[in-house]
Amino acid sequence: MKAHWSLPLLGAAMLVLFVVGLFSGPAHLEWSEEWAALQGRGGETAGTIMWQLRLPRLVTAALSGAALGLAGLLMQTFFRNPLAGPGVLGVSSGATLGVALVALGGASMGSVSGTGELGPQVVGALIGGGAVMALLGLVMGRFRSRTALLIFGLMVGYLAGALVTVLQAGAEAGALQAFVHWGMGSFAHAGWASCTIMLCALTPAIFWSWKASNSLDMWTMGALTAKTMGVDERTLSWSALGTAGILAALVTAWCGPVAFLGLATPHLVRAAGVRGRHSTMLWPVVLTGATVALLADLVVRLAGVPLNAVLSLVGAPVVLMLIVGRGRIFSKFRAQ
Amino acid sequence: MVVVGRNGTGKSTLLKTLAGLLPPKSGSVNLGGASVEAMRPRQRARRLAFVSSTPPRGTALTVRDVMELALEAGGHPVEAIRVDQAMQSGGVDQWAQMALDTLSDGMAQRVMLARAAAQSDSLILLDEPTAFLDVVGRQEVMADVGQWREAGKTVVLATHDLDAVHESGWADRWMVMRPPSEGGAFLPEEAFTSDAAKALLMGKD
Repeated sequence: MKAHWSLPLLGAAMLVLFVVGLFSGPAHLEWSEEWAALQGRGGETAGTIMWQLRLPRLVTAALSGAALGLAGLLMQTFFRNPLAGPGVLGVSSGATLGVALVALGGASMGSVSGTGELGPQVVGALIGGGAVMALLGLVMGRFRSRTALLIFGLMVGYLAGALVTVLQAGAEAGALQAFVHWGMGSFAHAGWASCTIMLCALTPAIFWSWKASNSLDMWTMGALTAKTMGVDERTLSWSALGTAGILAALVTAWCGPVAFLGLATPHLVRAAGVRGRHSTMLWPVVLTGATVALLADLVVRLAGVPLNAVLSLVGAPVVLMLIVGRGRIFSKFRAQ
Repeated sequence: MVVVGRNGTGKSTLLKTLAGLLPPKSGSVNLGGASVEAMRPRQRARRLAFVSSTPPRGTALTVRDVMELALEAGGHPVEAIRVDQAMQSGGVDQWAQMALDTLSDGMAQRVMLARAAAQSDSLILLDEPTAFLDVVGRQEVMADVGQWREAGKTVVLATHDLDAVHESGWADRWMVMRPPSEGGAFLPEEAFTSDAAKALLMGKD
């Protein structure tokens, strides 16, 4: 895999954001305290803040951004549709429903900040997301066209959303507030356990995507062409959708339904001129997702605005500018 | 071999079945003794190449990328020299660095033909390759096919563009698709001509 010019740049950006993130935050610590805590010396409070709060949060942000970016790329390629993102599968909606059942249905939505434990809401999210994926797996063979599958995923998402609304309508104020807050997205409620799990999912996902790059490339030329060039449609479908689904479910489980990153990250990368072979796009997409997530998290902590709001407020205008400025890229994207 | 017939008589279906994209309702399609449908996609990709009537849209791959993928699909070593050669013989080398989504349909289709030739040394199936092309495009496609024939490749071409086939003059065998009510598929003797095909299709036989 040839090294790409953007990778050192993104790596540097990530490093800078990481460091800035480590040394900033609502707790009023001196730099010397923070530095000491990182090295294992220093007070217990500082140590907890650095090691149990800030560091896992930054790692979670980077991993989530990377996971969502990759999921978005896989979805846009698989559906041959630039508007696809991990959300179109309905998996994150299913995960949200799972959390809603737990949070609004009874079990209290205690704060799980900094622990990353498999609390009830996480279990609910994983079950909800998993259920949608199972459903998709069942119906996948029946659909002759990719578009039909896309619509199915969208409709499942709407259904799940409707059920969430019903649950919200009947919920008591405290639980409702906690749930809505969860829905705004946050990287702060994850810990080392969740980071490890996400890393364990992301690593094979990246590995598979790299191995399947050629098949994914062929797929962009059309299903008939791809199949006669050796692509096994079933394997590709299951792998691509399964990978994206798992990544989306995991991120939603610990961070809530994170908006925008899945859909927009591949477009940001393409706008920078990195397009074409998946082997070329893979790492730039992964690292750009991580970088954008880290940046958003920094803004969240400095400005106090919720994550999804930051991502959408900044991201949507950026994508709009891209479309207006480079209409050419989208003019040839005709639905197949 | 040229497969002709009016719209809806099953030319596309026939070609897709030959390519292993559709299962035959009865009987089997065999290539070199092995059933095409039973072959694994990668095996099949080494034995035949298929070009559909619609050129790819919305893919950011460059022409060079496509040719590299084609060589890999066909089980050939992916070397720069072979890629250049494939692009040259396909007449698409001047667009090597251009992304397919910036090319016109006609140009993209020529790239697909060059891709098919790079992928398969032996059998190429073309499903109405001139459907979306203008006069010049059609001539270029026919010229490519003629070149392949001379290089010893087997080509099965489904088309309703009889005039282009007539002008090129290379059709060796014909197959005329007709609905069952009109007699079904018809494989005439060697000395068939495009005029005879036209007459047959227009129901004057």
